[in-house]
Amino acid sequence: MNTFAILLRQRIRRDRWQLLMWIAGTALLAYVTYVGVTGSYGTQQDRQALLATAIANPVIMLFRGLPSGADEGAFIAFLIFPFLAMLAAFMSSFLAVRHTRMDEELGRAELVASTPAGRTVPLLATLAHGVIANVALGILTALALIATGLAPAGSFVAGLGAGAVGVAFLGVGLLAGQLMRTSRGANALAVWVLLITFLFAGIGNALGTPTSDLQRIESSLLTWFSPFGWGENSRPFADDNVWPLLLCVLFGLALAGLSVALQSSRDLGGSLVPERRGRADAGTALAGPTPLVWRLTRGSILGWCVGGLLTGLLATSLAGVLRDVTVELPSVEAILDAISSSGSIEQGAVVIFFEVLGILAACCAVQTVCRARQEEAHGTAEPVLATPVDRVRWLAGYAIVGFAGIVLVAAAAVVGAVAGLARPDSDWNLLGDVLVVAAGQVLAASVFLVLTALVFVLAPRLTIPLGWTLVLLAMVLGLFGPLFGFPDWLIHVAPIAVAPTVTGDGVDVRGLWWLVLAVTAIGIAAGGLMRRRELAPAG
Amino acid sequence: MNTIISTSSLTKHYGRVHALDGLDLRVDEGQVHGFLGPNGAGKSTTIRILLGLARATGGEASVFGQDPWRSAVTLHRRIAYVPGDVSIWPNLTGGESIDVLARLRGASRQDAAYRDDKQRLMEEFQFDPRTKGRAYSKGNRQKVALIAALAVPADLYILDEPTSGLDPLMEVVFRREMARMKDAGATVLLSSHILSEVELLCDRVSIIRAGRVVETGTLAELRHLTRTEVSFEATDAATAAGIPGAHDVSVSEGRARFTVDSDQVTAALPELARLHVAGLRVEPPSLEELFLRHYGDDRTDRNGDGTASAGGATLRRDRVRQR
Repeated sequence: MNTFAILLRQRIRRDRWQLLMWIAGTALLAYVTYVGVTGSYGTQQDRQALLATAIANPVIMLFRGLPSGADEGAFIAFLIFPFLAMLAAFMSSFLAVRHTRMDEELGRAELVASTPAGRTVPLLATLAHGVIANVALGILTALALIATGLAPAGSFVAGLGAGAVGVAFLGVGLLAGQLMRTSRGANALAVWVLLITFLFAGIGNALGTPTSDLQRIESSLLTWFSPFGWGENSRPFADDNVWPLLLCVLFGLALAGLSVALQSSRDLGGSLVPERRGRADAGTALAGPTPLVWRLTRGSILGWCVGGLLTGLLATSLAGVLRDVTVELPSVEAILDAISSSGSIEQGAVVIFFEVLGILAACCAVQTVCRARQEEAHGTAEPVLATPVDRVRWLAGYAIVGFAGIVLVAAAAVVGAVAGLARPDSDWNLLGDVLVVAAGQVLAASVFLVLTALVFVLAPRLTIPLGWTLVLLAMVLGLFGPLFGFPDWLIHVAPIAVAPTVTGDGVDVRGLWWLVLAVTAIGIAAGGLMRRRELAPAG
Repeated sequence: MNTIISTSSLTKHYGRVHALDGLDLRVDEGQVHGFLGPNGAGKSTTIRILLGLARATGGEASVFGQDPWRSAVTLHRRIAYVPGDVSIWPNLTGGESIDVLARLRGASRQDAAYRDDKQRLMEEFQFDPRTKGRAYSKGNRQKVALIAALAVPADLYILDEPTSGLDPLMEVVFRREMARMKDAGATVLLSSHILSEVELLCDRVSIIRAGRVVETGTLAELRHLTRTEVSFEATDAATAAGIPGAHDVSVSEGRARFTVDSDQVTAALPELARLHVAGLRVEPPSLEELFLRHYGDDRTDRNGDGTASAGGATLRRDRVRQR
């Protein structure tokens, strides 16, 4: 057991600052949400109205939790629990991969495995490390909620519930680390499982059975295929039900057990999904700096396209579900009339979903430009720039591929939207709206492309953190700003919220010319400054 | 003879760190020029400036008579480069990486000469092109950069520690390829901290320390600055005391040792013959010694084999004597 303790200490020491940020960030999010929400929805009536609206609108249900009543605590849990759980899940799956497959890939695992610790003790230490991190996250989040004055029991169910979902994804991360050959592949697999199960829970709730007063939903079966769904069904502050949380923990431990079994039966460095041998010569298309960028980033761009396709599909297909609900429940119909004053509810759904698409496209662009920084830091940019490739042309390759990525993600969303409309009773006029908002979001996402490129030119080391922070900021302001009751001028700082859109009266260009001006000016500035920029290797 | 690379009073500052501190370097056409120095002396910084990847803080640098920062792209058409620490793309195979780099340098797909060269080099270096980049060892990544550099002819080769990670057999292959480059009339700047390699391959050597060139010349010229070590079987230091030009006489392990200025060796021989010494050994000065003279007191950066430490001992004695 001595080696176990040493390895556990080493893991805690290595991760302490990173985990502190994850854990404190999660607790802070819980606290800030309470402050924001009690400001905007102070009375029971406000909250009841919002819950009724949300339940009537599957679009909102997708990005929120499970409604369990309009009491303050239950309402907070509805708004924020899925995101607390999501943070815990990201923290845990990255943690699992970092200490297993990444160590193995970089050769550190070999060093450790050659000591008396052997091959499986490091895995067990990682498991313990992850469980400790999730318990800490759970307790700190619970304390943050108690500090706002909410009931201690519910606070602990909510906090430890997020931690329990984290443990489930700790297992997912550990198993992904066993299956895939590289840490990049393992992280991608875990993130895909995370996003898909997150959607399962949301869609399952949206398709669930609401009570007649529109204050509570019984999840449909789909929700029960997702650790997020289990966590939400603990219904903090309303039912304080603990057994779904035990399900999360058992699921996580079962996957961890499977991982231990795999680890103890395979070679160090091997994987269940084997690495294939590749071609001996480059294909004819792989000539020049821009095709090289495409080759390096096409996998992740494809991933964002799948996200775009799903977003587009939901944008139009949920409108049908919406109409069924209104037929069944007259009370819902009244609310829908109220919120769709500027256009139909279908239009509203398209606009909201395509703002999400704008974020996805921006992520794709930022990731592509960040790749330029990674190439530079890892030393693979140097041999390319030592050939007759101009600095500006080199960076332009990333901008071109990034823009192509944005267009592809938007195109995938349009394809998804068309598929969602492919029903006999569809209103095909909606397709025109889809094209307008999609084009608008392409423009909005391009702002992030050129901004990240400018950061890369001016402050290379900040490219990755600042690029992603900008997207996160736009998401918080543009998507959640209206919910938190932020003023309009602040919401409109986010390009996705000022891109051309549709209203009941037709097209509203909003900030079209500002966006065009910003993209052009920042793009030219980045190109011009790149002419004078030196190679900035890591360190 | 044309000057291919020339720098004068080149400086490069990173904040307060002076990576280069007035570096003067000249490499003539057709020359294999050794660029010798320990880690952190400024070799890679100099190379980055010569490639136009970094801009000099002060001083002049020219490559083929042009400013490397402003004419980077034009110059790169004539240059092949092997970085010191080779990274390759993890998701491309080695063969693909070689093709990408060679095509960026202008090799075309139909180019039979390139294909033949690549094939020949892959066989020579025993390189498996079908493995993904992430699975290659350090030596194999080095081979990717070497094959990509050598498969497309260039006028100037800039090689930053090109044999690091290669096994001795591959080093032999590399030396053979160097000979080919030289026969083709190419100019080579070979940065290294492996002295035997430089000694074997280079016409001229520049030794860099803390951002400046401290010694430069042909190997023969530099040898004047060093001493030859002579030893023979003896038990008494007095035996060697009367030999003309002998310095630092000592006796250990049954051998008498002394050093003599490299151009004074012949003067010592008659006396040695008269003494009928047994087991006479005359060790020519190595670059190692020259190197250690500049770095001998940096204990941490050399831990060479037996000869290196013997040389080090001599040098330390030298230093003491000079003071």
